[in-house]
Amino acid sequence: MIGSLRLYAAQSAAAIRTSFSDRGNFAIQVGGMIVNDIFFLTLWVLFFAGFRSIGGWRLQDMALLFGLTMSVVGISGVFFGGYRDLAATLLRGELDALLTQPKALIPRLLARESIATAWGDLAGAIFVLGVFAKLEWADLPALLLAIAAGTTVYVCASISFASLAFWAAGARSFARELTDFMLLFSSYPGSIYRGAVKTIAFTILPAGFVVLAPMGMVRHPSGQALAVVVFGAVVYTAIAVGLFHLGVARYRRGASPSI
Amino acid sequence: MRRDLIAAAVALRIGAGQAMAGWTVLAGRCLFYILIMTVLSALWDKVADERVAGAIALPAGGLVLYVLATEWITLSLPSVHLRFEDDIRSGGLEPHLLRPKFYLLQSLAQSLGGTLVRLAALGVTAVAWLLVTGRQGPPAATYPYLFVLGVLAVTVGMLLYAVAGLCAFWTRRILPVMLVIQKLMFLLGGLFAPITLYPDWLRKIAEATPFAAHLYWAGVQALHPSGAMFLQAAAWQALWIVLLSLLCLALWRAGLAKVLREGGV
Repeated sequence: MIGSLRLYAAQSAAAIRTSFSDRGNFAIQVGGMIVNDIFFLTLWVLFFAGFRSIGGWRLQDMALLFGLTMSVVGISGVFFGGYRDLAATLLRGELDALLTQPKALIPRLLARESIATAWGDLAGAIFVLGVFAKLEWADLPALLLAIAAGTTVYVCASISFASLAFWAAGARSFARELTDFMLLFSSYPGSIYRGAVKTIAFTILPAGFVVLAPMGMVRHPSGQALAVVVFGAVVYTAIAVGLFHLGVARYRRGASPSI
Repeated sequence: MRRDLIAAAVALRIGAGQAMAGWTVLAGRCLFYILIMTVLSALWDKVADERVAGAIALPAGGLVLYVLATEWITLSLPSVHLRFEDDIRSGGLEPHLLRPKFYLLQSLAQSLGGTLVRLAALGVTAVAWLLVTGRQGPPAATYPYLFVLGVLAVTVGMLLYAVAGLCAFWTRRILPVMLVIQKLMFLLGGLFAPITLYPDWLRKIAEATPFAAHLYWAGVQALHPSGAMFLQAAAWQALWIVLLSLLCLALWRAGLAKVLREGGV
């Protein structure tokens, strides 16, 4: 276990160094993402200046949601960047080389890449959470837990979507689209979701567990809120690990498609 | 010139054919359109229901028709920027330079062909979504106006994406440029809400930008159909199509000169 973690840390550090290597390009990408986030924030500031509230949500709530989403995407991109195009990696047969080695597959696949723009999201998240979300220092433990749980659900859901590539060649774009749908659901106030849409947001596209439930835990900490957040993280981890290894078993039999 | 236009028309037809052949991708885009409209209509319905004191008054019927039109245009756009980025970065551009057809025009025409197919498919999806959800659509007489403004709007959007793609001659990776352009489309184009809801100073700036020509004018036509506004919208869109085409041409020439001088990017 410790050996796997060490290997993951070494591989992840190498991926991060690689993303730094072209410094000019790295600066452009990070700067571009920060500008992108500023525009997005401006849009919501203008929105709340005009409409005041959406189902009880105000600018500080939206800022917390936005900050959590950016933190989750930022951490996932920097430290688990391989999640983004995992389906393509599987379809290209890049698993073959890893299968001959004794180390765990999922951490090695996740640590293959670090996405430079994700640093921009991280910087934006710190700014938004610090300036607009109206958080106290006492909220910090709950906030960190919320980010950790949200990142776990986000990465695990992305692994589950990518695992579809073990069964269908068309899963490459479909998996990315499902991840984007999940982000889309994570970018709007939870108060607008009702009925079937709310069910989707807490199951197939688990925006509910990526940001909405963690956000509720930060605003109103309680044992029940904590249990819901932890439950989401555990369940989506189990689904991702189960689905991925089911797919690997199929892959070993030579029954998976490739590109 | 005539031969170039004939070749462009053929490229347009090829682009349309490719988009129709990739019907699964097209279906996925229609599904995404439905999904995003489900979220955005829920958002605007919630805002309309709430009626907080001091909040901006929404037009009768809310903003769902406006967002339906702006998303229709946004989701019809081609990924012409990615094509330019790939070709410029990978050296895939050079073989095209040996051919007698103008790469830039051919690429844009092919992308426009695919865009028109997506515009049609998403247009049908929009009407179907209105029928299924029981929402009232724009008056029937508005549809021809919307069609014309929609075609001009996607042309403006495609040219904006092309400008981003051509920046690859200098930046190699265009993601940051694209993100900025996309967010300007959100903000100054009025993707989620008409720019008329902005403070007056910002509205005036936004109206004169290509981003409004890309989204706002077609969106507002769906909301408040008017012949006079249609003419004003078409004039803004035509102006920006000319200006952005010239900008693309200038970027292409400067970028090509750089590639020929330095042997790559």
